[in-house]
Amino acid sequence: MLNLILKRFGVAAATILGASLFSFFLLRKLPGDPARLVGGELADEQTITSLRQAMGLDSPLQEQFWNYITSSFHGDLGFSYTIGQPVSELVRTRLPATVELGLTGVATAVVLATVFAAIAVYRKKKGADVSLRIASSLAMGSPPFWLALVAILLLSVNLGIFPGPEGRLSPSLLPPPTITGLYTVDSILSGQFGTFFDALRHLILPALTIAVGPFAFLSRLFRSQLRNTMREPFIVVARSRGLLRGSVFLRHAVPNSLLSLVAATAMLLAETMTGSVLVEKVFGWPGVGSLTVDAILQKDFAVVQGVILLSATLYVTVSFLADVVYVVVDPRIRAGAK
Amino acid sequence: MTESNASTMTIDAANAAPERDTLLDVRGLRTEFQTARGRVAAVRDVSFTIRRRQRLAIVGESGSGKSAMAMSIVGLIQPPGRVTAGEIRLGGTNLRELSDRKLSEVRGGRISLVFQDPMSAFDPIRTIGSQMIESIRVHQSVSKRMARRQAADLLGEVGVTDASSRLSDYPHQYSGGMRQRVLIAMALANSPELVIADEPTTALDVTTQAQVLELLDRLVTDRGAALMLITHNLGIVAGFCDSVKVMYAGQLIEESESRALFASAAHPYSRELLKCVLRTDRRQEGLLSTIPGTLPDPTQPFKGCSFEPRCPLGKGNPLCQGVEPPLATVQGPHGVQLAKCHFAGQLELKEDQ
Repeated sequence: MLNLILKRFGVAAATILGASLFSFFLLRKLPGDPARLVGGELADEQTITSLRQAMGLDSPLQEQFWNYITSSFHGDLGFSYTIGQPVSELVRTRLPATVELGLTGVATAVVLATVFAAIAVYRKKKGADVSLRIASSLAMGSPPFWLALVAILLLSVNLGIFPGPEGRLSPSLLPPPTITGLYTVDSILSGQFGTFFDALRHLILPALTIAVGPFAFLSRLFRSQLRNTMREPFIVVARSRGLLRGSVFLRHAVPNSLLSLVAATAMLLAETMTGSVLVEKVFGWPGVGSLTVDAILQKDFAVVQGVILLSATLYVTVSFLADVVYVVVDPRIRAGAK
Repeated sequence: MTESNASTMTIDAANAAPERDTLLDVRGLRTEFQTARGRVAAVRDVSFTIRRRQRLAIVGESGSGKSAMAMSIVGLIQPPGRVTAGEIRLGGTNLRELSDRKLSEVRGGRISLVFQDPMSAFDPIRTIGSQMIESIRVHQSVSKRMARRQAADLLGEVGVTDASSRLSDYPHQYSGGMRQRVLIAMALANSPELVIADEPTTALDVTTQAQVLELLDRLVTDRGAALMLITHNLGIVAGFCDSVKVMYAGQLIEESESRALFASAAHPYSRELLKCVLRTDRRQEGLLSTIPGTLPDPTQPFKGCSFEPRCPLGKGNPLCQGVEPPLATVQGPHGVQLAKCHFAGQLELKEDQ
């Protein structure tokens, strides 16, 4: 068991190191000079040279990389010249927004996907099944940023049901005191229910937009998994013991099929948290995604590197968590882990 | 044996007197599967009865419709399969007319099943105990604690040591033989009147086979249940069952007492089957015996005797090719036998020719 954990940590560390190595050298190979961007077009050569020195750009690449790695171990991810804040600080303030959005989106997708897929498989009539397959095909084919635009246009601009792309809260409201960083949770914990409902209203549209893709994927996965499980011998055996079709479905087929969703959900979680860049931008959501877009456009190396490092860490953490969940819920793996 | 004894009598005539201790009475059961190449009958107009405490063997090769028949009886034939005709009377009620809810009370209650493959018969993520308790509480209104105690007793009875703590174990922590014992325990949990065991030992290794059979034997006897043993292994039948029904291409083609079958099988197919049994008391020369040919293609319409193409006696005979033989009674040296063959009662005569 200890061996297994060590191996997992080794792989995790290698993944993170590999990702940062890759991003570091790739960014340095891009055309354009960050010092020039910082100094501006009118700065003379001497200013640029001293800027390069100050930013550490004049030393050899491997030395730059070594500096980068050692300082990131101390929590120093560099300094954003475009925003004027340390990258670690930027990530710290922006990450909760992304986490709140990603968690809500993926959780919504998981719930809707399991419920609809279960209904589609359980019903003997084909109607529900066919509708689900059409819906998931459509959902799979719709780009999230387009969905975001349509949603804003339709539901907030035309119908006025949801607020426009103004971020996490109405401009008139102050954020709740930071406890977890998730506005909906923090506002409830501190008893500010008005703020809670406002935060929730702002969260719904972007979360639903983000949920669409994962919903399509998960509902298909769960549907096929359920159909396979229903064909397993133990399902017929359970029926032969006198259980009704409904009880067999809920007590045996669904739990067994849910197991297969854990890994997929974990990956989707990591993906939405690091990949909903454009949706965040469209909704004005002050998360890591919109930070990334700006940083790339402005060649803010430190920020881009920081975000890539964060993504790698997220993926590694989430897949580790998925493994832990498997150990907890699947007795066969639990036995193997002992 | 005279010609008149072997003359054709229908099974209805043979079983005319409704026996008081009849438990299950199946009449004209037909089960069909909808396939891409049309409807295929897996069970073709099968009729038989099981008496209380009887041990009946259903014997046939793979694909002969044995399991489809068993699943049809309890209404668990899976789509695209469907029971299309017949009556299945348990006591006074026709099971085919019951709603699924009512039928669920029969399944695992009055009729229970033991399946072939104990490795895949359990939900892998639920403990053995929880699955046993579930089976008990579906049929009996007892508390969880009571059900758990019952389950522990049952496990002990089937020879699982340290039963109460092993209830908390998961299926993968049991060996194949132990799982089959647990399946048997579950099948007997609600004191069934009939246990249908579908090849209960096929998936086990030979040493455990005997133990599991002995166990099944003892428990069924103790509880006064009837047993329907589905098997392709005639060796098991010999020591285990009172009577045998031989199934071929979805039909019952011979019905005999075990003793009678082994002494003088009344159908050519049964005779061929018996030749295939390995016997330790006889020296086997050369290759193992097989029956040449395969089961008829069920997608083609049946005409004449379904065994005709493989039959050593009737192959090529226009009568066998053209006319489906009735189930004839034969007065053999060991009692009445039924055989679906034009030459029932004259097999020796024909073989000599």
